[in-house]
Formats: sequence, C-alpha cells, structure tokens
Amino acid sequence: MMNFFTSLINNLISGLSVGSIYALIALGYTMVYGIAKMLNFAHGDIIMVGAFAVIVSVSSLGLPSIIAILIAVAVCVVLGVVIEAIAYRPLRNASPLAVLITAIGVSYLLQNLALLIFGSTQYSFPRLFQMEAIHFGQITISGQSIITLLVTTIIMIALHFFINQTKIGKAMRAVSEDKGAAELMGISVNRTISVTFAIGSGLAAIAGLFYGLTYGFIGPYTGSMPGIKAFVAAVFGGIGSIPGAMLGGILLGVIESFSKAYISTELSDAIVFGILILVLTIRPFGLLGKKTNEKV
Amino acid sequence: MLQVNNINVYYGKIHAVKDISFHVNEGEIVSLIGANGAGKSTTIHTISGLLHSKTGSISFLGEDITKAEAYKLVYKGLAHVPEGRRIFLNMTVMENLEMGAYSKGKVSSEDLDKIFQRFPRLKERRKQIAGTLSGGEQQMLAMGRALMSHPKLLMLDEPSMGLAPILVEQIFDIIQELNRTGTTILLVEQNAEMALKVADRAYVLESGSIVLSGAGKDLISSDSIRQAYLGG
Repeated sequence: MMNFFTSLINNLISGLSVGSIYALIALGYTMVYGIAKMLNFAHGDIIMVGAFAVIVSVSSLGLPSIIAILIAVAVCVVLGVVIEAIAYRPLRNASPLAVLITAIGVSYLLQNLALLIFGSTQYSFPRLFQMEAIHFGQITISGQSIITLLVTTIIMIALHFFINQTKIGKAMRAVSEDKGAAELMGISVNRTISVTFAIGSGLAAIAGLFYGLTYGFIGPYTGSMPGIKAFVAAVFGGIGSIPGAMLGGILLGVIESFSKAYISTELSDAIVFGILILVLTIRPFGLLGKKTNEKV
Repeated sequence: MLQVNNINVYYGKIHAVKDISFHVNEGEIVSLIGANGAGKSTTIHTISGLLHSKTGSISFLGEDITKAEAYKLVYKGLAHVPEGRRIFLNMTVMENLEMGAYSKGKVSSEDLDKIFQRFPRLKERRKQIAGTLSGGEQQMLAMGRALMSHPKLLMLDEPSMGLAPILVEQIFDIIQELNRTGTTILLVEQNAEMALKVADRAYVLESGSIVLSGAGKDLISSDSIRQAYLGG
C-alpha cells in the first residue's frame, strides 16, 4: 500500500513536470489562436530552435548557462516575430486554410533548415544545472522537476499578471475579442499580434530548454511531438483560454505519466488522445473554453 | 473639420458607397440617414479607416486621412462608436474604459469622474463584466469608452438601435449635451425622426448615394422625407 502511494506521488510529480512543459508550449498556441485567430503549427519547431540555440551557445561557444538561455529566448522571440511578419501578416485577410497550410510550410522549413545545419543526428543536451534531488522518505523529487515546476509556475503567474493587469496585456485581450473595435481604441492590431508571437516564442524557448533537460537529446524533428501534444493540451483546456492552456498542459502530462506507469507505455499516447476526444464530446469548447454569448 | 470628397467604397464587387461628398463643420451635429443598406455605416467605416475608398479623399482637421490606418486616427481626435456597440464583452466596464483611453496613455481619474457623472450606471457597474450589461448600459459604455479619448469629432453609428424609446430619448439628450460642451458629432441613424430633430444639417443616403441634404429642421418637414422615412 505504502509502495503504491509512493509510486503514485512520484508519477504525479513527473507528470506535473512534463505537463508544465506542455503548458508552456500550449500557452503559445492558445495566445496566438486567441489573438490572431490562427493555428501556428510551426510553434512546436520553435522549441527545437530554442534547444539548438542552447546547445550551440554552451557546447560550441562555451558560454555560461544563463547567457545561453537568454540567447535561446532572444533567438526564438526574433524568429517568432519575423515568421509572423513575413509568412502570416500578408495573409491576415486570407482564408484560414491558406494560413494553416502556410504554417505547416513554415514548420517544414524550420525542420529542414535544422536538418541542413545540424544533420539528422541527435545532439545531447548540456546539463545546465546541478541540483540535488530532494527525498521525503520514499518519495524522490529530482532537481530537474523542481526547477521545471518552479520556473513554469513563476512564468505562469507573471503571464497571468501581464495579461490582466498591464496595458499591453489588456490590449491583447481587446484584440482577441474584436480587432476592429480595438483599432478604434487606437490599438495597433499588427503590433499586438507581434507582441503575442514574441511572448509565445519566448515561452517556447524556455519549453525547449526544459524539454532538452528532461529528455537529454535534441534533433531537427524534436519539436513536432511536444508541439502536437501541446496543441492537444490547448484544445483540451479550451483553445484561446490562457488558464485553459495551463490546466490542459498539466492534465495532459499527468494523464500521460499515469498511463505510462499503470496501463501501458505503448498505449499512453492513445489514452491521452482518447481522453481528449471524450472531453470534447462532452465539452466541445474544452475544459475552460467558453462559447461567447453576444448580446445584440 | 471633416471633408469627404467623392469617395467610392466596394465590398468585393458590391459598390456600397457611390461618389459621396459631404462635410462636417466644427461644433455641428450632422446626421446621415437612410434605410438599411444605404451605405451609411460603410461611409463612416471609411472615415475611421476600417475601410478604404478607391477614389476621392477624406480630410480631417485639414490633414489628409484617406489612406490612414484606423488606430492612428484616434490619436488625431476622431472617435467612432460602431454599430452594435462592440464593447469588449469579456472585459469589465472599467477595463473597457481603460481601452478607450488607450491613446491617452494613462487613465486620468478626472476623465473617469466625468464619464461616471454622465453615466452613473457605469460607475455602479464598473467592476462588472461588460457582457452582463443591458443594451442601454452597453450603449452608454460604448459612448463613454469613445469619450475617454477626448475626441474632437465623435461618430456614432446607430446609437438608438434596439433600445426602448425612453432610452433612445436619453441617448439623444446625451448626444446634444456632448455637442453643447464642444464635441462635434456625426450621427448615423435609421431612426430618421430623432436624427433630424437633433441635427444642424443632415444628408439622406439611398443605395450608396446622397439624394438629399439640408438643415435638419427643413428636412424633417419635407414631404419626400416624411413619406420615405417618417411614416407619412
């Protein structure tokens, strides 16, 4: 009984840790969807770019960890903003399908560029932090998990504050509700969308960092699976909803971790997606998504 | 103050506004009236930069704004309260007003007091989510939000739409009061009677063209207007 309880807690913590990485990525999906009303399928690949930026900075250039992280964030922020300006902005009034196909194209472009530069081999991700695991009797929390949980919690609180309390954050919410009305308030929709891509891509860089630290290896296609799972998490939580992305990501991680531990490692993805489908049949807008009620 | 010269606006292939010219002088209330689909809303969307004209020109305070982006015009003193209010339904009343003051940087408590004085209901409900307001309260919020930017010209699109007659009276009282305190008003209305009563001058639109113009009080007594818009 005690053993089962211990394994339950250990799996919960590893689930929370992986889930918080999904949540960081899902936030990028959901914010971009909420504000630009598009699915940025290249978002997952930004994670890979962030992770490679860390590898190059630390392993090739020998820079200290903290500088490497800042470089990775900067690279991803610039990349996200540039992708939006070049690939998506000209399609602002195009059909959603054209935008979706462009996003898939950008995703392949990033993967192939990485393939060209780094080849198809997997690179080992540098150990950036040394942190002792903490033991509570039988329960062990790895240093890795502690840092991941701590940092993602801080980021989520900061993001919540930013969206709800700052002028730019409120403008982002205004644009997500009604672009035209936001323009009439003097808000530049283009600039607001750029800021959204910058934030989403910066979060993806951090996610890439933790992903690398958790799994140890990075290749050109590393971003696609966590990208898809985070997209699922965003839909699960209610796409467009920021708390929904956080909740969706964390639940996804926990469900995945428990499925792997108690049901089947091979089936874990099928179980995760099965639960998503079930949730969506009951709540088509996701857990925290809402149908907007408009008053005429 | 506002000069519109020969604008032509298209929605895809539909020629919605045909060669319209009109002007608004400082201190006036000018009404654009006409039936649904006559091109009234399209015209003011074009002035506020949400749509663009293929030809002609629009100038505001002597500056050419024909190709200006919508968000920049707010900084020049042009405010547009769109049809259907389009307040931010998921944000609080207070946040809506803050967005109205976006172009001003910070929200001044003086402005806020002024708005709350004019619309006491908004003060009571300032922490409420805007989507929970009644139609009349939403219209007041939409107007209050626009006033936060200190507009020199306030354009109102169908402010009386969907409101009970008593609220319509109230909204028009507020419009006249705003005008007396120095705001120039361009009013788009289907409620021709009210719109003509308060207007210094008015233009009548029909399928995208101006068919009649004149002083509000003259138009209200004209036979053709009575038959077409005022129910005999």
